Amino acid sequence: MFAYVARRLLYSVPVILVASFLLFWAVRVTFDPLSKLRGGRDPGALARAAERLGLGQPIPYQYWRWLTQFVTGDWGVSSRTAGSVQGLILPALGTTLQLIVWGVLAAAVIALAVGAYSAVRQYSAGDLVFTGLSYLGVAMPPFWLGLILIQILAAWPQELLGLTDPPLYFVGLHSPDGGGPLDYARHLVLPVLTLTVGLVASWSRFTRATMLDALTSEYVRTARAKGVPKGRIVVRHALRTSLGPFVSVTAVDAGLLFGGLVVTEQIFAIQGMGRLFLDSLLTGDVFVLVPWTLVIGLVVIVFNLLADIVYAVLDPRVRLG
Amino acid sequence: MTVRQGGSIVIGAEQEPDCTDWIASCAGSIWGTFIMDIPTIPRVFEPKKVNGAWTPVATNVMASEPELTAGPPQKITYRINPDAVWSDGQPITSADFEYTALAIRDGKDVLNRTGYSHIAKVDTPDPKTAVVTFSTPYANWKGLFSDSSGLLPSHLLADKDRSALMKDGYSWSGGPWKIESWTKGASVVLVPNENYWGEKPKLDKVTFQFTADTAAAFQAFKTGQLDALYPTPQLDSIDQILSGLPNADSIVDPESGNLEAVWFNNTKPPFDSVTFRQAVSYALDRKAIVTRLYGALGVTEPAQSAHTPLVGRYGATDFAQYAPDLGKVGTLMQGDGWAKGSDGIWAKAGTRAKFTVSTMTGNKRRELTEQILQEQLRTAGFELTIDNTSAGDLFASKLPKGDFQMGLWTLVDTFPQPSLEASFSSSAIPTAANGYSGLNMSRIDVPGLDQVLDTAASTLEEDKRIEVSRQADKLLADSAALLPLDVIPNILLWNRKIGGPLAIDPARGPFWNLAQWGLVG
Repeated sequence: MFAYVARRLLYSVPVILVASFLLFWAVRVTFDPLSKLRGGRDPGALARAAERLGLGQPIPYQYWRWLTQFVTGDWGVSSRTAGSVQGLILPALGTTLQLIVWGVLAAAVIALAVGAYSAVRQYSAGDLVFTGLSYLGVAMPPFWLGLILIQILAAWPQELLGLTDPPLYFVGLHSPDGGGPLDYARHLVLPVLTLTVGLVASWSRFTRATMLDALTSEYVRTARAKGVPKGRIVVRHALRTSLGPFVSVTAVDAGLLFGGLVVTEQIFAIQGMGRLFLDSLLTGDVFVLVPWTLVIGLVVIVFNLLADIVYAVLDPRVRLG
Repeated sequence: MTVRQGGSIVIGAEQEPDCTDWIASCAGSIWGTFIMDIPTIPRVFEPKKVNGAWTPVATNVMASEPELTAGPPQKITYRINPDAVWSDGQPITSADFEYTALAIRDGKDVLNRTGYSHIAKVDTPDPKTAVVTFSTPYANWKGLFSDSSGLLPSHLLADKDRSALMKDGYSWSGGPWKIESWTKGASVVLVPNENYWGEKPKLDKVTFQFTADTAAAFQAFKTGQLDALYPTPQLDSIDQILSGLPNADSIVDPESGNLEAVWFNNTKPPFDSVTFRQAVSYALDRKAIVTRLYGALGVTEPAQSAHTPLVGRYGATDFAQYAPDLGKVGTLMQGDGWAKGSDGIWAKAGTRAKFTVSTMTGNKRRELTEQILQEQLRTAGFELTIDNTSAGDLFASKLPKGDFQMGLWTLVDTFPQPSLEASFSSSAIPTAANGYSGLNMSRIDVPGLDQVLDTAASTLEEDKRIEVSRQADKLLADSAALLPLDVIPNILLWNRKIGGPLAIDPARGPFWNLAQWGLVG
């Protein structure tokens, strides 16, 4: 197992390096880290900043200089904020992690239940309703869904019930005065729901498909012939078989989500990895974008590894090596 | 309206500042200026309306109006209010003037040295008197320690790493408020500076919550999570306001420092011809455009000067000559050898009067403006196509390199002193030689204009400055070097639970008098 993990990590290094260089190059040739200074009245400001940031050097040299600093543990300084890159990325990672943990947990539970129900009662009214809803969920863009959820679950209830505050908040993850677990939960529900709807929609379809495969397999037919109760067949045989691929999909999707919550974070004013990426991209802050890519790459690799390991645990036929 | 002492409010802020080291290149965010710089950093002059015009007036940091000695050399004597202190109780002294001036003049990472590069030395004959001597005359001297940078505390910053001490927020203050916290990505909290020597804040706490999404910010305002908003006047904001905001009041102030204009590339055909620029200017109905954009807010008048209302007393109304007049368009075009083709478009020697307009993709207000321009120009016999690009590409490449024909962007003034030379002097044209820096991206080089602008920038006598600034306006208008469209109005919205004299200052923003805000009752 250890050798497998080490080998997978080692294989990832060149991929991440190539990806980080390509990103460095692409951002440097398409975005301008001095854009903010271009509207200023001091024409010398551009030259001073370009010299300070070493922008006159060839791009491979700039990348090499950054990389040699990075491998020594120096993540560098943001050209946008003049602050430590580490100080920007780690808190953003923690914030996004909160959304993903709650979102993935909620989505996984709901998707498994819905997918299992739809498979067991294939073509029933319930299955058709869930199928329709899942297509709707996949089709709804988060920027629209987020605003609709705000209206339906926060603004209207407040108006109808004559409340001073909306029952669910949608600005940040905490109230300005801090607040306890309840305040945190009231801030978390809407962004997590926005994230969850899309995940449930696709994961429930996936679960339904794998469950149907399992339910029509020979071992299930044998179990039925031997008189094993239906509930036990569904839970112990079909669902358990489906869990392996399900965990793989959820782990890979969760890893990708770390950099992909740009819209949700923007709507709900949450400073996570998505917003950090957007802010850095729009200001050409390559010194944040490249470490950001490395961190996201690492997260994706770790989640893929986790998926493989969990798969092996759930399915004894699978051997890592 | 009577307001009580105490309480707290939450205000939505569209953008988070990048840093709070106000003189460094990471600063420059207008929201940073509004929510942390202005409330905490003392300034020598502040804009006030005098006889209906925005004018720099000495603040309570000064014991008296700073004295100008014309020289040469030009000198300014600043006498500091004996009561003026920093939040730690240390007095504001002449050492602070010296530290700030030299940090900006000689510092490596400085956002804007304008004016400070003219300073030869700063003398400190006593702790409450500072004398600044200039190497060359500098007419906008009132902008020093006032416009983009206020005074910094020498006793806390001298011989230390200012960036490290300031960039992520600072606990000291020389204004009515102190920064209690800045939670990156979430909020900034201001609390009263107990040692402030002027009028102390009424509120106990003001939180600025960062809300980048306009629709969500308006929902938060409607549901009471935010008590005030200062939205960018984009079309979606205007729609939200028109759809009704319960329990809210608002101000729409068209006297801002932001001038939106049609910018012609004066060196690129067909706009290298004065006649062609004039013809296009007569083809446009600017009042119709402004009415379409802001009519619902009560703003309908086009701008008639290259000066924004913030520096309005230096401007004239020479661009008023460009009222829509298709007859004049025909006369000018025919006089220049153009004739209308069968498709209704002017043509000359096989070249059709066809050109492009560029602005940043995604700015709905400007995209709508382009569509109206397209329609109006088509009626007058010009074919306009839209060639938009990202903000980064527009301002970093297209405009500095002159790779455009016509453009839409904003000229911004931040202090009530004219600075047309920064935008219209031929020395401000971006070129490869100057690293494509400079704001004269329209490549305006009108005969006689440079001399007028030089005089305006170096003349210390106020009446003379007004006279030559107005001459500059006339030269720009007569040559149709650009065509001012509108002054972008500022909008402030607040919940009726907030009281106090709420008003927008075009230079210091809507929160300039936050100390006077309070909860009603």
